[in-house]
Amino acid sequence: MIEHNPFHPAMIEAVKQTLENMVFMEILEERGAPTDIPPEDLVWSSLLINDPIQGEIRLAVPATLLKKITSNVFGIDEEEVTTSQAYDILNELLNTIAGLFVTKLLPETQQYHIGLPSLEAGPLPEIDEHTVVWHLINSEDEPLKIQAAGASLVALSKDNNG
Amino acid sequence: MKRIIIADDSATARMFIKRCLQIIGLGDAEFVEVEDGKQALEAAKEQPADLLLTDLNMPVMDGQTLVKWVKASPKLCDMPVVVITSAGNPAKEAQLLELGAHRVINKPVSPPVMMDALADFLD
Repeated sequence: MIEHNPFHPAMIEAVKQTLENMVFMEILEERGAPTDIPPEDLVWSSLLINDPIQGEIRLAVPATLLKKITSNVFGIDEEEVTTSQAYDILNELLNTIAGLFVTKLLPETQQYHIGLPSLEAGPLPEIDEHTVVWHLINSEDEPLKIQAAGASLVALSKDNNG
Repeated sequence: MKRIIIADDSATARMFIKRCLQIIGLGDAEFVEVEDGKQALEAAKEQPADLLLTDLNMPVMDGQTLVKWVKASPKLCDMPVVVITSAGNPAKEAQLLELGAHRVINKPVSPPVMMDALADFLD
């Protein structure tokens, strides 16, 4: 049996470590009813975990927040931010979050393989019994959503709810 | 002037790496930015670099394959290769070091981590 860290806090830690280090943004778990991201403002990226477990990690943010993050990171005005810069940052954030998350979940001796992040279009997939969602906010109450999907990945959350 | 190749398919990641290098005192280096291992290998063959920093997960040629190619090349084998990865753990790190990587750094990168990893290079 794989020994691993608690599933839920592992993701919170991964997101905090990534956002605080890369974009100097404080992240909190949202309490109470989650804030929805309006469909017209939704941007999300997806990454596959291929081995030794199979699953998908998705990062969704409002386009307005992504523009703000991109502006801060590149040190340019929000009006100057290109979609290419913004999408590249979203993908890199997801790439880093997913790597940290899986590293925290799996034993140190367990190698793993994750895919490349890709920008997705349309609404987020429907939540089913094999999906776990984290509702997060920054210090300005702007929402970020993380989803982990896939039976073998989400099974780890049932082994140890942390 | 030091010549440093940075290989990562993400422009954001390359910018972070470059920013860290500038902060730790390598601001006057010549930075060559490429998007995958194959381009990194071509850039190094064209003009050998003092240091190669590479991501692990990249399209076309990944960082692990790049380390193998560099270490197998008589012309390039002395070039230190630092692997920067979001998919690293002790097992992967040991494997990369055995293949000849100089150091392995986990993302997100920061100036102190970069300073530590490149201490002997900076000397």
